[in-house]
Amino acid sequence: MSYIPGWAVFGQAGIALLFPLLANILYKGLYSLVGSGRAVESPGTKNANPSKGQSASQAGVDPAPAPREFSGDYAADLSYIKSTIGRNSDLHFKEFTMTRVQRQAVLIFVDGMQDDRQLNLQILQYLMNEATAESLSAQGMSGPGLPFSQLSEASDLTLFNQSVLFGHAGLLVEGLPQGLLIEPPASTDRTLGEPVSEALLRGPRLGFSEVLSVNTSILRRQGFNDQLEMISYRAGTRIQRDIVLAYMKDIVNPELLKEVETRISKLDIDFLAESGYIEQLIEDNYLSPFQQVQNTERPDRVINALLEGRIAILLDGTPFALIVPVTFSMLLQSPEDYYERWLPSSLIRMLRFAATFMALMAPALYISFISFHPGLIPTELALSIIETRQNVPFPSVIEVLILEISIEILREAGIRLPKPVGPAMGIVGGLIIGDAAVNAGIVSPFLVIVVAVTAISSFSIPMYSAGLTLRLLRFVGMGFAAFLGMFGTILFFLLICSHLTRLKSFGVPYLTPVSPFRLSDWKDLFFRSPLSLMKRRPVMMKTQNSRRKS
Amino acid sequence: MFTRTDDKITATQAAVFLNNTVLGAGILTLPRGVSEAVKTPDSWLSVTLGGIIVMAVVTLMVKISQQFPGKTIFQYAGRIVGRVPGAVLCLLLVLYFLILAGFEIRSLAEVTLFFLLEGTPIWAIVLPFIWAGTYLVYGGINSIARVFQIVFPISIMILMICYALSFRLFDIDNLRPVLGNGIMPVIRGLKSTVLVYSGCEVILTLVAFMQKPGQAVKTMLIGIGIPVGLYLLTVVMVIGGLSIDSVITSTWPTIDLIRSFEISGFLFERMEFPLMVIWLMQMFCNFCSFFFQASLGLSQILKLKVHPVIYMLVPVIFISAMIPKTVNEVFSLGDFIGRMGLVLFLLLPVLLSIIWLIRTKGLKQHV
Repeated sequence: MSYIPGWAVFGQAGIALLFPLLANILYKGLYSLVGSGRAVESPGTKNANPSKGQSASQAGVDPAPAPREFSGDYAADLSYIKSTIGRNSDLHFKEFTMTRVQRQAVLIFVDGMQDDRQLNLQILQYLMNEATAESLSAQGMSGPGLPFSQLSEASDLTLFNQSVLFGHAGLLVEGLPQGLLIEPPASTDRTLGEPVSEALLRGPRLGFSEVLSVNTSILRRQGFNDQLEMISYRAGTRIQRDIVLAYMKDIVNPELLKEVETRISKLDIDFLAESGYIEQLIEDNYLSPFQQVQNTERPDRVINALLEGRIAILLDGTPFALIVPVTFSMLLQSPEDYYERWLPSSLIRMLRFAATFMALMAPALYISFISFHPGLIPTELALSIIETRQNVPFPSVIEVLILEISIEILREAGIRLPKPVGPAMGIVGGLIIGDAAVNAGIVSPFLVIVVAVTAISSFSIPMYSAGLTLRLLRFVGMGFAAFLGMFGTILFFLLICSHLTRLKSFGVPYLTPVSPFRLSDWKDLFFRSPLSLMKRRPVMMKTQNSRRKS
Repeated sequence: MFTRTDDKITATQAAVFLNNTVLGAGILTLPRGVSEAVKTPDSWLSVTLGGIIVMAVVTLMVKISQQFPGKTIFQYAGRIVGRVPGAVLCLLLVLYFLILAGFEIRSLAEVTLFFLLEGTPIWAIVLPFIWAGTYLVYGGINSIARVFQIVFPISIMILMICYALSFRLFDIDNLRPVLGNGIMPVIRGLKSTVLVYSGCEVILTLVAFMQKPGQAVKTMLIGIGIPVGLYLLTVVMVIGGLSIDSVITSTWPTIDLIRSFEISGFLFERMEFPLMVIWLMQMFCNFCSFFFQASLGLSQILKLKVHPVIYMLVPVIFISAMIPKTVNEVFSLGDFIGRMGLVLFLLLPVLLSIIWLIRTKGLKQHV
């Protein structure tokens, strides 16, 4: 213990201290910077109010300025409506006199949003000729007085305007204190089709669509049940959109539900363009490369998740539903695993785990073996690889980067290529360029194999977004391998493990059931055990009801 | 409770924690260390005997910790012997953990320099390793225990495969004669086996983190039993495979054993690479465990927040790793740690238990 190290060592010790400190400051700074857009940090905002029940028009607190109340004076209200939204050329005001009671009334609607002109005519005919004072009285409106399936009162003029522009038919009658909203909007809809991002060979060929009510009805149509509960919310400060939380009332953990409700009600953004917006605004750690919310287009996936005690979040205007919480292993599960028999499914699932590992590590391993430790691979293999690399003028990192980046570009371009050109470009890009690059001596043929296998592996992951994460991390791993070889690769693996163990999705540790270890959930991890053995719901979700079968 | 906010670990996690703390550098060095002292093939007897003694020690440590549920040694030592002596004892323990952490990193760096990254400056290996460890330790005991849970099955599996494959070199004659020179060599070997079990002092804090401290004795015995068994297996396989003479002359006998045979037709012809991988991971676990204990101790003794302490300890650990000049100094540091562990054992669990017994049973005081 007599040796005192030199100043260089103390300098390095200083660096040793500085780096984590700086990293921490950077992390905290970034976190608060990114987090400042989130309402979770700013408790004062309250832009979405929960509204129990599907009738969306009753819901909602409007953005500032304060909503304008109905004055009760027909002419004043009408002129206010005309002055605020009357300039829209697609808005129609149909003024008429109700003949029986001799009152003025106006029907306000937007072009193309009402499904049936006949119906409009009928409504008009009814209102003009048949409506009596009695049916318009307070009891009559709530009771059977009016022949409309959907009818609600707008609480204030601002909401009335918004609803009319959203597609409701608005009715303003002289002598009534409030405006009425009749006939929900019926916008155009595409036909339901197979989910594009999650195609399966076996399983229902039905995907969600862009209309929220269609999506909720698809979920309802999965089977007879009275425990599936859907609660709608509205979020968005500028343009409001409906969000629906779906869960099984007697299965879901109430604390989890409360947590999700809190986070949803704190959404603070002017417009939710896609469910990805919600995902990014409610996730636990937004600096993590790993997604903490699962997205899916498949109703069967959603309903199975609900039965596991998880919660689905559906947004109007997108076919992608969100499922929370999610763990790492769930990203590697495909619904098909359960539809096919257990033995092949288990094998395929393990294959997927192996593919994930390859997609993450293969290039890093290549770099560390070729550049640092050729002695660790079998001698003949090492010799043949080195022989093929003789003409390559770059170190293996550059070589791998060249090919990996070209593959990534090809992939990115492939999404945008027009359908008839796509496969042709794939062949040109993949085969011809690969072959030419080998012949030109830019890359070695062995590397082409490695990169191709990596690329194919990353496509075998059922969740597209999980594949994106791995693509990103692969390059980080290559960086580690380039600096420290095998040691760096192991360090990279340990860092990912450290990160994953710290990560949580809505309170569920991301690596459950591997660690924390939950043996009973292992039956659906690497293996997909026979259905007869899957008697219980996942323990990690801490469900109210744990038995799947009696 | 859906979201857990308490920092507790399960019994399995505690056992794995202990195992991953103890199982480390010894895998590569233990056969030589013991054989140098014993000089007969009876090293395995020393390891077994050492293991039994350590198990008794572990039981004692758990028993004393169980008297203070939810409290770590850094908190209850002061209550037994008074605040200042308790703090001094605990600071000694923290120092011990720091030296151990530095030692683990240094041996890791030496092995990496020797086998994987020749010619790399040593700080380039040590620094990233410490930083990665800092990231993990920052996450608290739960993250650490979870990472251990991932690493543990991988290491055990690969270690077992390595030893199973090396069985073809195994020659029972290398282990004979048993007790040829009497019992004395075995006793002499005991001292060097202490080093490989050093680190089991983490029990003194680990029990406080257990969800059910009542199961601690069983849990910890399992936790220490696995490394005892693995070390025994290591010594038997290495000495049986290489013979006592070559074990003494080799720096890293276990790697030499694994290197000395080839499996043709397999992806890796030699198992040395997977062994290195799991050993590196195991060293990472070791290091993180000691790092965590040291930072926890310091923060509890000085009543500081744990996160600044972690940063503070980073350069300290780095310097403690750089103090030995050569590999041989690293090994002598190892011996020093073994002796220090022995002293600490006498000071902490034994002394504390005796004083505690006297005060509660003899003087009927309420501690």
